[in-house]
Amino acid sequence: MIYAYFLIAIAVVIGAQRLPDLRAKRVLFLLLGAALLCAPIFDRNDATFNVLADAGIFVLLALGLNIVVGFAGLLDLGYAAFFAIGAYTYAMMASPQFNLHLPFWLLLFLAAAFAALFGIILGAPTLRLRGDYLAIVTLGFGEIVPQIFQNLTKYTGGPNGIGALDFPSFFGRSFGQGTIPYYYVVLALIALAVFFAYNLRDSRLGRAWMAIREDELAARHMGINTTAVKLAAFALGASFSGLAGVVFAAKLSLVSPDLFQFQVSVLIVSMLVLGGMGNIPGVVVGALVLVLVNNVVLPQANTIAATAGLHVDFGNYHFFIYGAILVAIMLFKPEGLLPSRQRKEELHHAAT
Amino acid sequence: MHEFLAQLINGISLGGIYALIALGYTMVYGIIGLINFAHGDVYTLGSFFALTILTALGVSGELHGVALVVDVAIALIGAALLCGIAGVLIERLAYRRLRNAPRLAPLITAIGVSFILENVMQIWKGPSPVPFPAVVPNPSVMIAGVAVGAQQMLVVGLAVVMMVALQLFIHNTRLGRAMRATAQDRDAAQLMGININKTIMLTFLIGSALAGVAGFVSGVYYQSTWFFNGFGAGLKAFTAAVLGGIGNIGGAMLGGFLIGIIESFATWKFGGQWSNVTVFAILILVLVFRPSGLLGEAVFDRA
Amino acid sequence: MRISAAVAIIALSACSGANNASTAKNTTTTTTTAVTAAPSPAPAGRVVKIGIDLPLSGGDASVGISTEQGALLAIAQMQKSVPRGYTLQGEALDDSVQGVHNPEQGVSNVRSFISDSAVLAVVGPYNSNVARAEIPVTNAAGMAQIGPSVVADNLTIGPDAQQLRRANPSLNTFFRVCTTDSRQGSALAQFARSLGFKHAYIIDDNETYGLDLADRFEKDFTADGGTVLARDHLAKNTQDFKSLLLKVLAAKPDIVFFGGVTSTGGGLIRKQMFSVGLGKTAYMGGDGLADLATVAAAQADGSYYTLAAPDATRLPSAQAFVKAYRAKYNSDIGPYSANAYAAAQVAADAIIRAIGKSGAVPSRAAVVARVASTKLDTPIGPISFDKYGDVTNPVLSLYGFKNGQPYFIRQIQLKL
Repeated sequence: MIYAYFLIAIAVVIGAQRLPDLRAKRVLFLLLGAALLCAPIFDRNDATFNVLADAGIFVLLALGLNIVVGFAGLLDLGYAAFFAIGAYTYAMMASPQFNLHLPFWLLLFLAAAFAALFGIILGAPTLRLRGDYLAIVTLGFGEIVPQIFQNLTKYTGGPNGIGALDFPSFFGRSFGQGTIPYYYVVLALIALAVFFAYNLRDSRLGRAWMAIREDELAARHMGINTTAVKLAAFALGASFSGLAGVVFAAKLSLVSPDLFQFQVSVLIVSMLVLGGMGNIPGVVVGALVLVLVNNVVLPQANTIAATAGLHVDFGNYHFFIYGAILVAIMLFKPEGLLPSRQRKEELHHAAT
Repeated sequence: MHEFLAQLINGISLGGIYALIALGYTMVYGIIGLINFAHGDVYTLGSFFALTILTALGVSGELHGVALVVDVAIALIGAALLCGIAGVLIERLAYRRLRNAPRLAPLITAIGVSFILENVMQIWKGPSPVPFPAVVPNPSVMIAGVAVGAQQMLVVGLAVVMMVALQLFIHNTRLGRAMRATAQDRDAAQLMGININKTIMLTFLIGSALAGVAGFVSGVYYQSTWFFNGFGAGLKAFTAAVLGGIGNIGGAMLGGFLIGIIESFATWKFGGQWSNVTVFAILILVLVFRPSGLLGEAVFDRA
Repeated sequence: MRISAAVAIIALSACSGANNASTAKNTTTTTTTAVTAAPSPAPAGRVVKIGIDLPLSGGDASVGISTEQGALLAIAQMQKSVPRGYTLQGEALDDSVQGVHNPEQGVSNVRSFISDSAVLAVVGPYNSNVARAEIPVTNAAGMAQIGPSVVADNLTIGPDAQQLRRANPSLNTFFRVCTTDSRQGSALAQFARSLGFKHAYIIDDNETYGLDLADRFEKDFTADGGTVLARDHLAKNTQDFKSLLLKVLAAKPDIVFFGGVTSTGGGLIRKQMFSVGLGKTAYMGGDGLADLATVAAAQADGSYYTLAAPDATRLPSAQAFVKAYRAKYNSDIGPYSANAYAAAQVAADAIIRAIGKSGAVPSRAAVVARVASTKLDTPIGPISFDKYGDVTNPVLSLYGFKNGQPYFIRQIQLKL
């Protein structure tokens, strides 16, 4: 059943991309939104909305990283660090850990601001580096942050992490153990994020990012303050990740360092590349496809095979299958499943 | 002082392994600008090949005399050769088609190849760490009161010999010149009649063979191997390549040794749990203050 | 506009499709109950499932797969005791994402077990922090969950554990067949002291199991009059522990205690002790080192570990298990294969007793009640649970290695 949600969402986004008419596109997205909003009325399966909310969190992360990598062209290999900072912000300020019980909604803002702050702290000295070196600096940062959370046992619970986080509440009603409220929060945040991302892309700042991405030197000579502009991309991207971290922590009611390893950063970059960097619908599709593969198809590979009459143990081959999917998609669609028109042109230009 | 020396020697030996892996990273990056994430797994593959060859030769313990030289040579060259072939195959099947694709596309492919290799090795030798025979005897020499084992000397010696050989090859042969030319400007090199495909193939062959050497050496040194080792070692080796100045052969060597020494000292002074944090923190600081790496002037200049 | 209308239809069918699926599921369940009245010999008749949630890919596969196989073997063997007309199935889901065990994926797996009405109990997870995320969910759903290897004290006892049962404070659904960190840590400290060791250097792998075990050992070893020279943690993703061991060498301990499992460094540390000149120093750890010889071979000699059971060589069920495992999977058992076997055995036994004479498909609540009243002989000894879900068995055995083979030394009875 869960496949239906994913496949329909992916189909609608891809379909919309092919429509030339902007108004039809909008209508299509509104309908998708309405369908997603009404889904819990008909289907009350917690497991389904749990996966959908997770998928939504990754869509948020992908949208955020897209600002950094897709718009501004800065390769960030440590994005999970900001996700961790967001999640730990919630865990430390809304749990028995320090007996602080700040409200979820306030912490959404705080964590976003906090993550952005760390983005600036990391970015300020490093953003003047050439792209490849920036990738390594962010990779290092991504390695350091969860390790510090793991080592500072007194404050962060060490490898155990922090558990029993407060349930958020909405006008006095606690979210409790169910998953549907989180699903709605995630939907709302995605709507905001998409709106925000489109506006950013078409703003002065967005055009500056694109100029830098295409030719930094030229952009500087055109009078763009490249460092400030890059820093803005870093901070904004990080703040999306902070938001996602709060929802993630609250939903799981637990944070621990192993949730934010290097592999998570790699996963989010893969979503971007797979979907089509720089293109908002593409990034959403990339996130949905990889969550579907990683969190739904692979864990259940055995069961799926069994229903097809195949009794093979896929447990041992997850990595192989996942790796093969990544390689295959890249070999056949190196520009991603849904590249933006601009990117296509750039590529075309580069090829000639 | 005694402990300082002991830690230093340990760090240098560990660094020798990172350095051998880093050479492959730096060459591939220098030539096609690809962070070859699968390279760490080629290193593990090397230890698996060496283990298989040794088992086939019937070796299960320490060797001496002629048998030592012959069997070690067979395992070492065999592992290097097989890894070289694996590297060439990976390039041919997974990367070549993407040479003109967006820059990040081959990066994702490399991650995919890395997962595939890890899974293949997991099925091949099982998911648990595998013992590796202690082939090379380990008598030690006292240097300033610190015992230095023969295996440690082997690691460092091999790393240095490989680097020197590589330098000579790149600077003194036609093929080496072709590699440098390709790194500087692929299109121009092609116009000058250099066979780009062949040159890139050669780069992968040499880089992967060096990873194979590292795999063999680490098997001998740690007497165990594990399908997942390449992940951590690869990450640090890549860091080493960047630290030394990516694209620079001597830099990769220097970076490898430095990372090994930093890791060793950090464990000693701050405790094991801080060693990775220290390595990466120093890396960030170095790049902030010296963005081109320690030996910025690159042999493979891409700036 | 035509296009948007088409989409509206898709969207609607999505909603109604979801609705159909849930009704379909209900129908299946009703049919099953209907069949109960008139038992039919159809082999596929009524399927009852045990969900298995473990890390099966990436680095964690080194322990996860052998654990999964232990559970699946138990389920296959218990098949013959299942009442006529029922089929018992194991359904394993992987809780690692991109090769790292992931509490979020664990929760997702457990939720999908909960939504499958045929699943009556869950075996797993492997990691304590995955358990911390899952327990509130199984507690809210009233689903029995049996952990093969999670040892952190605060999963069952104390205020943290109560927090995990927030949804259903009076109901305990989480059980474990392994002992707790505090019991094992304090038994290890007593053993170490009774073997005459005075100066310990403690290392842990900085993971939940290892860290907690080492904490407890440190506390009790000191209380018993021993001296802890220093305490250290391992780094992730490294093969080299020599630099750490050089520190250990300088401290001159008579025993090195390791909190962790063989694959997170326990095996390599033992081997590398020999290369820095610590080969003659004793080495000790918990049940995570039971498979030490697979990595260290003869260098395991001089090492000790505990198991939370009477001596396995005296238990015929243990021998039979090891043999059957070898026959089925053509490999030696992993450190937690036997525990997983026992956990799945407990789950299957509870389901069988819950089906009982009535022959009706039992409720999950009935299964939880039967797990709580378990009295069962398993390869890791007799198992029954206290009110927190911990094993009541107070016996821990000490083992050493000789020629790369473990041998039983003696056992200890803890005061609980």
